Amino acid sequence: MSLRVGVVGAGGFGQAIASAAVRQRHDVVLWSRRERSLPDSIRPSTAIDNMEDRDLIFLAAPARHATSLADQLGKVVDGRHLIVHVSRGLIGAELKTITTVLREHTAARRLGALAGPLVPNALAEGRPSGAILGTRFPEVTEMVREAIGGSDLRIYDTTDVLGVQLASATVGFLTVVLAYAQETGVEPSTLAVLATRGMVEISRIGQALGASEETFMGLAGLGDLIAAVAGDERAESLVGRALARGAELASAVAEAGAYVEGIEVAQNMIEQAHRLGLETPISSVFVEISSRRMTPEDAMHALMERRVGPE
Amino acid sequence: MLKRLFSERPLRLPHIKPYVPRPSDPSIFWFNSERGDIVSDVVNRICGAHETDRSRLEIALNDAAFHEIRRLEHQRDEEARDRLGYWRSMIRRIGKMDDAEQRQALHTIVSNMAHDVAGNFDPRVYRFARQAIPRLVAGVMEPRRFASSFTAPQSEVLSRVLRVQGDIDHLQYLQSEGSLVFVPTHSSNLDSIVLAQALEVSGLPPVVYGAGKNLFTNPIISFFMHNLGAYRVDRRIRVRLYKEVLTLYSQVMIERGYHSLFFPGGTRSRSGMIERHLKLGLLGSAVEAFTTNRVRRVQRPVWFVPTTINYALVLEAETLIRDWLTEEGQTRYIIEDDEFSQIDRWVAFFRKVVGMRGACIIRFGEPIDPFGNAIDEKGASLSPAGRNIDPGGYVERRGTPVVDATRDAAYTRELGTVLAERYERDTVLMSTQVVAHVLYRHLVQATPGMDLFGRMRLRSEVSIDREVVHKDLGDARERLLALEAKGEVRVSDVVREDSPNELLEAALQFWNGYHTSTAASLDGDRVLLCDPSLLLYYQNRMVSFADRIADTDQMEAACEIEALGVHR
Repeated sequence: MSLRVGVVGAGGFGQAIASAAVRQRHDVVLWSRRERSLPDSIRPSTAIDNMEDRDLIFLAAPARHATSLADQLGKVVDGRHLIVHVSRGLIGAELKTITTVLREHTAARRLGALAGPLVPNALAEGRPSGAILGTRFPEVTEMVREAIGGSDLRIYDTTDVLGVQLASATVGFLTVVLAYAQETGVEPSTLAVLATRGMVEISRIGQALGASEETFMGLAGLGDLIAAVAGDERAESLVGRALARGAELASAVAEAGAYVEGIEVAQNMIEQAHRLGLETPISSVFVEISSRRMTPEDAMHALMERRVGPE
Repeated sequence: MLKRLFSERPLRLPHIKPYVPRPSDPSIFWFNSERGDIVSDVVNRICGAHETDRSRLEIALNDAAFHEIRRLEHQRDEEARDRLGYWRSMIRRIGKMDDAEQRQALHTIVSNMAHDVAGNFDPRVYRFARQAIPRLVAGVMEPRRFASSFTAPQSEVLSRVLRVQGDIDHLQYLQSEGSLVFVPTHSSNLDSIVLAQALEVSGLPPVVYGAGKNLFTNPIISFFMHNLGAYRVDRRIRVRLYKEVLTLYSQVMIERGYHSLFFPGGTRSRSGMIERHLKLGLLGSAVEAFTTNRVRRVQRPVWFVPTTINYALVLEAETLIRDWLTEEGQTRYIIEDDEFSQIDRWVAFFRKVVGMRGACIIRFGEPIDPFGNAIDEKGASLSPAGRNIDPGGYVERRGTPVVDATRDAAYTRELGTVLAERYERDTVLMSTQVVAHVLYRHLVQATPGMDLFGRMRLRSEVSIDREVVHKDLGDARERLLALEAKGEVRVSDVVREDSPNELLEAALQFWNGYHTSTAASLDGDRVLLCDPSLLLYYQNRMVSFADRIADTDQMEAACEIEALGVHR
């Protein structure tokens, strides 16, 4: 039975999801702020009202637009709708998740967060890939698998909705750090230590906020990071490399050509961690580097001089 | 023996002529005529769910026998002598039973449980209780007016002690349109009595509620509990089938339109803190009731009424905080030896509160639907944008309403989060809590690095200049009023209107002479912190507001206090 799928946001991810759903022979409407030319099989729309008759809606927009889009969706959706977002960001100093924003601004309750090593090109072209869906509602999992899953996309599920979103957002930042380190030519062993300890750092913060460690060690965290380090050419890696080549943060982001949510998340995450009494050596040092308050050499020195203890 | 007679077989009055409910009577008046049907419904649904799967049926029987043997062996009482043999025999025979015998055994067990749980409603007892209990309580409170309290048309004493807040007109309208589920905070065993009184004075209908079986050990309380519709909950029973009977009984009652009450905190807040982590079993029964009705095309709404019960003086404060501070308190669920079971403590308590303004405030919060949405004056669910939405959409799967236990469990969890937020917002902070917080914060500041238990030992060792207390009380009050203006909390009239000096005096007067030791007292121009554990209990209501009402130099102590609430 064909599903009525809606996609909000016509960026890379929005178009890729729409293409994947069309490939599964579903009826797809893609909403964007301005008119776009899309393949004939995808119905474009600039009226949010067209989401009203959708069974499943994907919100594929950066976190900074999530509140205003949720507000607009709130005018047309109700308890019948299932909404899943693919944002890698968190909002504000309190690290509010996108599902929380959707919960506050819309009447929809059956929500989910799709994350993991999923990149738009692979999704659009149907190359074998995998993802993790955080939701407490089995029917959301079932419908997302029906809409875009299949033999070329394995969608695992977890009820740790918070963990998926925290892992996804913080791995984005860690990706920038590792790309920076790679570009500066650090040894593979140094990179491995940086990646592993970085994962521990963000996982501790996640656990303190209520997420599960397993989620960070799964597709949403470690899986996503492996894809990034292996070179899936995501925007975060491009920003990291540009920074390592000496670019200012703003120009590095501009060079990447896409909005990078991880940088914005990092500062708020560090403040939140300190409030919780947690240390953030890697994140703190990198924020200093990216804002040019510390040289890479000093950063490395600062990290290596730290007291070492049990893993 | 007498205790057991009442607790096992609660007394009912003989019926010479059955009462025929009038259309204007509350739904509970129909209960007795439907009780048999309700019990059968519960038994049939549970047996039906087990009978199709032999392994599930066998596990359920084994689970019942195992847990009951363990409980009864531990109890070693008359019940154990009566029932232990039955369960020991059962556990030996389960594996040898054929399908029909297993089904019969299940039916017998579930039927016994459902009959034990089901209550009774006697309109005569209800009429007597609504007339006599307020007057009796008023008489106890003011012995000099004992005689006149029975002739006065309205108990002035009760209305002075008990204040009811909230949109009562709205609730009165809703009660005739759907099932109301009152979900209050829980501080004292007096809560159900006080809440029943609040419903009565507000013109709201009586409700069905689950009462711990320990409350049925007192023959008089047992008589009233049993005949006013309460169903019995024996928290000692760990059998899975028993939990299913309880939740399904609650569900069936709500499905049929009976207004209900349950305490989502599960048990009284030992610490005195506002409950944050709620038990979801009975909440889930109300959500499932809504779903089941929708699947059956019954358009009967279910609304939850978050309610806070706020006391300036808590009857069982000393036992509760002692329990919380001991390791035993973490697991002890039933307390049978607290102040609630001592009639002299009741009398002392009521005599203390009668002379005080604003001793108890019941606040009925804004009702919500099972999915946490606000509702309008006619009961229609509202989206965050204020649009009317159909709550039935939440239980639809591609346009058709379906029962889905996993989905409804997820909705229930979300509802629990919404209720916890509402509790915080609708808590009315009382004089004793604000004063205790200011004094306890001083204690924390005066003892840097000391742990909680170290501070509890500092009885009458720390004192504070009275002028400093007045200033801090004034500052705390100003900040609380600012929070109230933002809708983040509420304060009692005493806190709002009285001067800091009057506020301090009021709190000291509440504490002095009721608890076995007072929380604090005046010592010349200083305030002496006499019992830190009582101060802790009363101030714990404020842990989540601690950092929002602290000065910069108080912030460290405030954060330490706030941390007390992290794992509540």
